[in-house]
Amino acid sequence: MLSVELFVQGIVQGSIYALIALGLTLVYGLLRILHVAHAALFTLGAYIGVLVTNQTGSLPLALAAAALFAGFVGMAIYKLAYEPLLSRPPYIALIASIALFIASEEIYRITFGPYGLSFVDPPLQGQIQLFSGFYLKHGEVLVIGLSVTLLGLLAWLSSSTRTGIAWRATVTDPEIAQACGVNIQSVRYLNFFIGSALAAIAGVLVALLNNLVEPTMGSVPSYKALAIIVLGGLGSIRGTLLAAMALGVIEAFGTIYIGRMLDRDAIAFAFLIAVLMVRPRGLLGAR
Amino acid sequence: MRLIQIATGTVLALTLLSGASYAESVKIGFNVPLTGFAAADGKSALGGAELAVAQANAAGGIDGAQIELVVYDDQASPKEAVPIAQKLIEKDGVSVAVSGSYSGSTRAAAGIFQEAGVPYISAYAIHPDITRAGNFVFRTSFVGEVQGRAGAKLIGESLGKQKVTMITLQNDFGQSLAAGFKEAASSFNIEIISEYEYSIKDRQFGPIVSKIKSDNPDAIYASGYFFTAGPLVSQLRAAGIDVPVIGQEGYDSQKFIEIAGPASEGTIITTSLDRDSTSAETMSFIAAFEEATGQKVDMVAASAHTALKVAIAALQVAGPHDAAAIRDAIAATELTASTGSISFNDLGEVRKDVQVQIVKDGNWRFYSVISDPDLLAPPTL
Amino acid sequence: MAYEITLLTTMAISVLFALSLNFISGFCGQISLGHAAFLGTGAYTSALLTKASVPFLLTLPLAAMTAALLGVLVGLTSLRVRHDFLAITTMGVAFLFVGIVRQQDFLGGEIGVSGIPPTGLGRVGFLILAISLAAAFAAFSLYVRRSWMGFVFKSIADNEDVARLLGIDVPRYKLAAFVVGTAVAGVAGALYAHHFRFLAPDSFGFIESVSVLAMVIVGGIGSVWGVAFAAAILSVLPLMFQFVNDFKLLLYSALLFAMMRFSPDGVAGLVRRFLVTGPRNRG
Repeated sequence: MLSVELFVQGIVQGSIYALIALGLTLVYGLLRILHVAHAALFTLGAYIGVLVTNQTGSLPLALAAAALFAGFVGMAIYKLAYEPLLSRPPYIALIASIALFIASEEIYRITFGPYGLSFVDPPLQGQIQLFSGFYLKHGEVLVIGLSVTLLGLLAWLSSSTRTGIAWRATVTDPEIAQACGVNIQSVRYLNFFIGSALAAIAGVLVALLNNLVEPTMGSVPSYKALAIIVLGGLGSIRGTLLAAMALGVIEAFGTIYIGRMLDRDAIAFAFLIAVLMVRPRGLLGAR
Repeated sequence: MRLIQIATGTVLALTLLSGASYAESVKIGFNVPLTGFAAADGKSALGGAELAVAQANAAGGIDGAQIELVVYDDQASPKEAVPIAQKLIEKDGVSVAVSGSYSGSTRAAAGIFQEAGVPYISAYAIHPDITRAGNFVFRTSFVGEVQGRAGAKLIGESLGKQKVTMITLQNDFGQSLAAGFKEAASSFNIEIISEYEYSIKDRQFGPIVSKIKSDNPDAIYASGYFFTAGPLVSQLRAAGIDVPVIGQEGYDSQKFIEIAGPASEGTIITTSLDRDSTSAETMSFIAAFEEATGQKVDMVAASAHTALKVAIAALQVAGPHDAAAIRDAIAATELTASTGSISFNDLGEVRKDVQVQIVKDGNWRFYSVISDPDLLAPPTL
Repeated sequence: MAYEITLLTTMAISVLFALSLNFISGFCGQISLGHAAFLGTGAYTSALLTKASVPFLLTLPLAAMTAALLGVLVGLTSLRVRHDFLAITTMGVAFLFVGIVRQQDFLGGEIGVSGIPPTGLGRVGFLILAISLAAAFAAFSLYVRRSWMGFVFKSIADNEDVARLLGIDVPRYKLAAFVVGTAVAGVAGALYAHHFRFLAPDSFGFIESVSVLAMVIVGGIGSVWGVAFAAAILSVLPLMFQFVNDFKLLLYSALLFAMMRFSPDGVAGLVRRFLVTGPRNRG
């Protein structure tokens, strides 16, 4: 029974990873940029989530506000930071992105204080019993439910609508798509909007689970999400989802069985390196 | 917006500098993490230190001379702390310095102060080697091992629990607490049935919580800070684990209660600050701190206040110029501060009682006090 | 003077460390996000040895060797994975390094290594040693860049597949770059250990790796002078910014961002443009 519990815990963590990493894959697929500052939008979402919930008492409103606001900030980051650097080698954008990320942490700390924020009246604190002795918090159920819904919605949009098909074509091969008349620029904006909105939603969910939003809460996603998209095979959406879930589950079992030899990050990266040695282009990367 | 903030910050800093640099002030150095991962504790420490200086200045300073606190941000990093220590000694000419920072930066800076023969007091860093830098280095808080032993006594004797699960934070704080706890466990009939480790970055403990449920311990000894312990305790309770959770001074913040909410009720910690103290010193500190900063008091603030108080008292005895005399005055300290009565052993480690606090009705409250000089004996020379 | 000497020593060590990464990333085009692991390997090796009474100068080559040994391992992975995959693999190495060191009692675990003995060279002597080593490696870098080996590195950095077609033994040269770069990082680590005289696992984590890559790129990747200059400045920038206290890191990151945004080819590029077009008629 313990292994089932650990597996479910891993899926909860993996769902959060998936929401964060998906946006990063979208950006990478189109621009070949390792967008570290993506994690800044995750934290931004968490702050908006707590602030709006505390003001209005409505979690759905908070989720929507976080997604919208972070989406627009993501588009602004593309316009102001990345677009001028597209012709440069990728590591220039990487350092610019890291600088943006550090600046964001400092702005959060200076604006909201170093102690972090919590919900005044934390929503969704109840729990359901999955089987004897195993409870899942409503927040955790929401994590899984929302990820499946959002990712499913995205899959449906991208396969069944005209915009979606153009979008998917562009992510797969920007040049051919452009030759077919797709407006690359608007697809880029769309990518940043969707990716950032998903990261912000992940931020609200993590805020909900921890009842704590800190200026530095993006530090783990900032590098873990990079590991996930590389593990999945840079730019592959299915690969990213698979890698996110795999990492979530491996970390869950790892913390229990080898947690005293290696910390959570080291477990994740040991797995990453092992996979890359066998499959140098990631789990589902192009050969 | 940002520019305006930077501009006002700069102007403010300059005004403070020029305003404070009149002649004949006595300087006390203070390295503290104001940016980076430890900024929350840094802010509390700075609040406590500034309060101690303001109080001393209001009471006439050092023989009429005002005390100036020279503050540098060390980001809790040894790499920053070394040049800062040198700057405090050489450029600012401080008479004595206090660390409001974590172990790594304090340990690295301690060597520099020792070499220069400038007294240095660590306010709340727990690293065992800090005072081993030499005879000019002191500490007004417990080393990790002492607190770990106190935790074992609390669980084995006061609570009478035997089967204990340990959840250990993977850093110097967690590791030295665990070492002290394990060392004393057997003498209090404690059997450690399992131990898990987590990283300071972790906030989700689902897997560990699931496993602990099947371990079925009588009590849990978990090291951590309020930002890890808050989510941890809340997740333990949500999973229906209702055995006592025993923590330490890292939990000691109102923020812990805010994060864990009702789940925090009944959590017991070993710390240095008794909020229900009837000592005039502690009561007046708590009131003055909350009035000055508008935030609830915590262990870090009280510890920084205590360390500054020790430094100031020594300056009052020995004057600001003779470093060796200041050192001797610190070594001979006998005073009552917000964290209890302070005196040092030959290594410069503090001897005092351990306060035990419990969360009751959303506040930290008195639970008991452990005064056992043998068990709590700090390391000696 | 002790304060200025400390700052200069810090700068010299950073220059050496940044140049060692420049050798791998700048010359040979292999971007590494885990270079601090080699600094750490050298630092721990040297510190443990001097604590066991081995003379400091003798530990320098040993620190270089252990770091290079790990460097060969990582270099071998660079033969398997490329570009961004390599960058993230090296990042993983940094996390693994810290994760493993944390749990080793003989390395001090979380408590770290303290009580590292003085070098016996004195502050000034140590500074001179650090500057000489940095200058010597800068000279070596300049020499290599103009040598035949430098051209081979450049062709690998530009396009590995083309280099292979030209009959260049790419794996051998990549490994050579990793061995030299990591060995020198190990030496920088030995200096680091005896400069700060306290080691803890967190000092060699991802943040340190990112900082050193930032030095290389801000300097102008591949440019020896540019990288040396940027490393010297960036290593003491947080201390220079003390007066803005709360806004220190914000200012640092804003500067870093502005540099990437407005002069992506770094200090070297800035100077080059200035020299070529003159100060007035820049486009």
